[in-house]
Amino acid sequence: MNIIEMLKDGNDQKHVVDAYELALKVQPSINAVVTFIDPCKQLEEVKEGKLKGIPVALKDNVNTKGIKTTASSKILENYIPVYDATIVKKLKDAGAVIIAKTSMDELAMGGTNLSAATGPVYNPYDVTRISGGSSGGSAAVVASGVVPLAIGSDTGDSIRKPASFCGVVGVKPTYGRISRYGIIPYASSLDHVGYFTRNVKDAALALEVLAGYDPMDATSSQREVPEYSKLINSDITGKKVIVFKNVLNHMNNEETLALFQRVIDGLKTKGAIVKEVTFNEELMKAILPTYHVIANCEATANHSNLDGIRFGNKQEGSDTFEIMCNTRSQGLSSSIRKRFVIGSYALFEENQEKYLKQAQRVRRMIVEEISSYLKDADVLIAPASNAAAPKIADVLAKHVEEDLVAENHMVFANFSGYPSMTLPMGYIHQHLPVGVNITANAFKEVDMFSIGSVIEEITGLKDAYKEVK
Amino acid sequence: MDNKDALYFKKLAKQLMFELNDQEANEMVQEFEEFNHLLTHLASIDTTGVKEMIYPFEEPVTYLREDELIHVITQQEALSNVSNSQQGHFVVPKVVK
Amino acid sequence: MEYDVVIGIEIHCELKTKSKMFSAGLTSFGKQANTCVNEIDLGHPGTLPTVNKEAVKKALQACIALHLEIDSLVKFDRKNYYYSDLPKGFQITQQFHPLGRHGYITIHVDGQSKRIGINRIHMEEDTAKQYHLDEVTLIDYNRAGTPLIEIVSEPDMTSGKEAAAYVEALRQTLYYLGVSDVKMEEGSLRCDVNVSLKPKGSSVFGVKNEIKNLNSISNVEKAIDYEIKRQKDILDAGGVIEQATRRYDETTKTTVLMRKKEGSVDYKFFPEPNILPIQLDPKWIEEITNHLGELPNARKERFMKDYGLSEYDAMLLIDNKELGEYYQEVMKTCKNPKLAANWVIGDLQAILSKNNLTIQTTCIPSVSLAKLVNMIEDKTISGKQAKEVFELMVQGKDPEVIVKEKGMKQVSDEASILAMINEVLDENQQSITDYKNGKDRAIGFLVGQVMKKSKGQANPAMTNALVLQEIAKR
Ligand SMILES: [Mg+2]
Ligand SMILES: [Zn+2]
Repeated sequence: MNIIEMLKDGNDQKHVVDAYELALKVQPSINAVVTFIDPCKQLEEVKEGKLKGIPVALKDNVNTKGIKTTASSKILENYIPVYDATIVKKLKDAGAVIIAKTSMDELAMGGTNLSAATGPVYNPYDVTRISGGSSGGSAAVVASGVVPLAIGSDTGDSIRKPASFCGVVGVKPTYGRISRYGIIPYASSLDHVGYFTRNVKDAALALEVLAGYDPMDATSSQREVPEYSKLINSDITGKKVIVFKNVLNHMNNEETLALFQRVIDGLKTKGAIVKEVTFNEELMKAILPTYHVIANCEATANHSNLDGIRFGNKQEGSDTFEIMCNTRSQGLSSSIRKRFVIGSYALFEENQEKYLKQAQRVRRMIVEEISSYLKDADVLIAPASNAAAPKIADVLAKHVEEDLVAENHMVFANFSGYPSMTLPMGYIHQHLPVGVNITANAFKEVDMFSIGSVIEEITGLKDAYKEVK
Repeated sequence: MDNKDALYFKKLAKQLMFELNDQEANEMVQEFEEFNHLLTHLASIDTTGVKEMIYPFEEPVTYLREDELIHVITQQEALSNVSNSQQGHFVVPKVVK
Repeated sequence: MEYDVVIGIEIHCELKTKSKMFSAGLTSFGKQANTCVNEIDLGHPGTLPTVNKEAVKKALQACIALHLEIDSLVKFDRKNYYYSDLPKGFQITQQFHPLGRHGYITIHVDGQSKRIGINRIHMEEDTAKQYHLDEVTLIDYNRAGTPLIEIVSEPDMTSGKEAAAYVEALRQTLYYLGVSDVKMEEGSLRCDVNVSLKPKGSSVFGVKNEIKNLNSISNVEKAIDYEIKRQKDILDAGGVIEQATRRYDETTKTTVLMRKKEGSVDYKFFPEPNILPIQLDPKWIEEITNHLGELPNARKERFMKDYGLSEYDAMLLIDNKELGEYYQEVMKTCKNPKLAANWVIGDLQAILSKNNLTIQTTCIPSVSLAKLVNMIEDKTISGKQAKEVFELMVQGKDPEVIVKEKGMKQVSDEASILAMINEVLDENQQSITDYKNGKDRAIGFLVGQVMKKSKGQANPAMTNALVLQEIAKR
């Protein structure tokens, strides 16, 4: 059942208990949960609100007071927050019941969900494949029908890529729209809090609850939160849709391209004005390196607090520095440590000009390039991924070639802060989902949802999920 | 371009309060090369006259927090994530200056 | 060889706010360990900074009072390093865009005025406090996140004396502004000094040594004077100065090597992504400028002008802000400014320090001291009697009540004194003769007799004059 149906039906107890039991049941197959949260006590105190009695899951980088929050890293495997993230309060105030904390790539630094301290998350559509990451656990619990809403976070495309791989709706709203207070960060200027649902209407409703100004987050927006779910308009006559042609140029999967063409044709039929736009190719190829530099620089500083002194999985040592060193060496996986080394290298005074500042300048150029077209249109669309979720074995063996543009274009929306959403586009190889990505102008989530709802009609994939055996 | 050896990365890691073992440091050399290769796509772009973009949105804000609001947690909560404490303090082996 | 001494000073000053620089945690001093903190002060994962308005206001007040140009677009940066007293692994500071630049303060040394340049003032956050025991170090995060301003001088000072005057002048200004407690001994004002020497007239700076954490103004002077001599001796002997961080050892009165500086540390500064640039309202800045309150120099000038005080007296009165304010209160009802100043500077301060009191805790209301001074001025009581009255005022009594109870009223009525004098003269013919024969001492005896007759209440000066006048008539 989706959110709207559950609300209509009103049987809180049943929805929540069913969700909790299903989560437990599918866990051996998909390994999506880090911590199960017994909902009984919460059910007694459910508040009246827009999400009354809706079972939800949180990515394990969302701090929950008194409940272990690990960010899927060994260094935080025993961390019990002393405070709730702002969105946890918002969800509870709206009546939601939290049933699980979901697996993620360690510290959200990854795109496969193979780096979680609790092991890989398996794709509900094919358990030999990755779920995508870093919000893989949340994508998987929504895709397998456990919960109708799960929180994720998106620094590169960490919601929108797993949404594509798992065949669900994944939303990253405008930067500053949802408070980041209490979310264990990756890279502050790129981090967005978002979520997964199984249809666009649910997604719009969820944003009404999650969005809003938070005085605890100095980058939070003071704009009013519209009633997105009521503003969705499926009459898109005259709406301007630009197609991210560079992405298509880099794609070779005929099935994906055909599914995308079906979406384009459908939008045209519904009256949208569709235009293909090719951006400066050099800038598009610079998206990934720009992202790596900025993200690693911010991340290495953001995680300097993980030293074992005040919290975390402290390792003994003969002095403070040895404690920090042992704690971090043992608590952070080697890939995380290597990324910190790269970030730190790029931050050195003598390197900043060439690395961080160059990346920050190119960030501006990329944003200006795309927004110069997007500002005269309503949305920009492209396939979220060329191929379906790769096989875990292939990823581990490094057999997966990632195209610089085809697989990384969605990072643009993290640079610009624009709202961006992936929703199912169809299935390739008969059974593997692949998504379409929609990006709108800043704070124009309504445009994104409206186009999304029409695409949902075109694909007929509203409320799709995969029963896990 | 910047070629660095394993020892260099081991030292750099030390500054970040962790170790890279021999294998990791050797992998790092390789990965750094790949990173620098990827970076050619960044370095090749002429950014003359372009200002760094640090935040997604750049209109300045005016919000300042009022000094009247106070939020503290209890000492017990503050110490709740460490296994030992002394007289309400966090304890570490003596810092050698 | 002759040298030019070059001294620059960095001061960290804790701002007097209720909450912390980037969190709603409580600022405190001397509270139970780790009771004034929240998740932000402890650097817990997921926490974010927000900027304290009052801290910005106080930093602005300092900038304005010290004539700095203000950058009204407030930006913060991260300074990255690992240390157990630094919860986040970085300090949020203003490396690239300090709140204020290019100001100055005027100091007075040996009757000369001199402007000391202030390079910058920026806002940042304090670290935790560590207690080093034999085996372990204890960490208290109560201080972590306390708002600080860092005030960096130009290298404009040339002696320990100038440096001490600079720190004192800054301390006084910051105190008058109410931005800080400026208690060096409690660490709310911390002072690091850079000293270098160069051949006289040379334009090339010498190698500097930094003396960290000087905890009193007198130590600033002593440490610098020692350091100058130390460096001079090395240079004179043909040696070279090595760049280093030193500390002042109070027992040996020398500066001691802490660590040599091998290249500078790379703090990997970069803009703080979690705080968007904040545009300060120019009207707010204007309002702060217009309500700065009176600064020490202005008060000194006013005391000299309005009360006709000497520069020296005025200086003594402004030295302690509250003492000067007490004096102002006294002067609301007091007739003799100079006499009042003497009492406030002298007897009042003496009795306060004797009783371990401060001007804030004294139980002598300013209006009482004014009454006392007025009674002296009116010749109601003598100066000597006043001292006696004052001793009792310390117990909280009103001076007029004391005078009444003690029956202390000074007799200044000429007719009654004359009557007593003539009685005394009539009774002491021999003394008159002695006086006429050149024995001046006889006057003292006669005056004493009059005082006795008046039960000590006759105005002594008056009595003296009248005795001479009457004796001449005989
Ligand atoms: Mg400094
Ligand atoms: Zn500082």
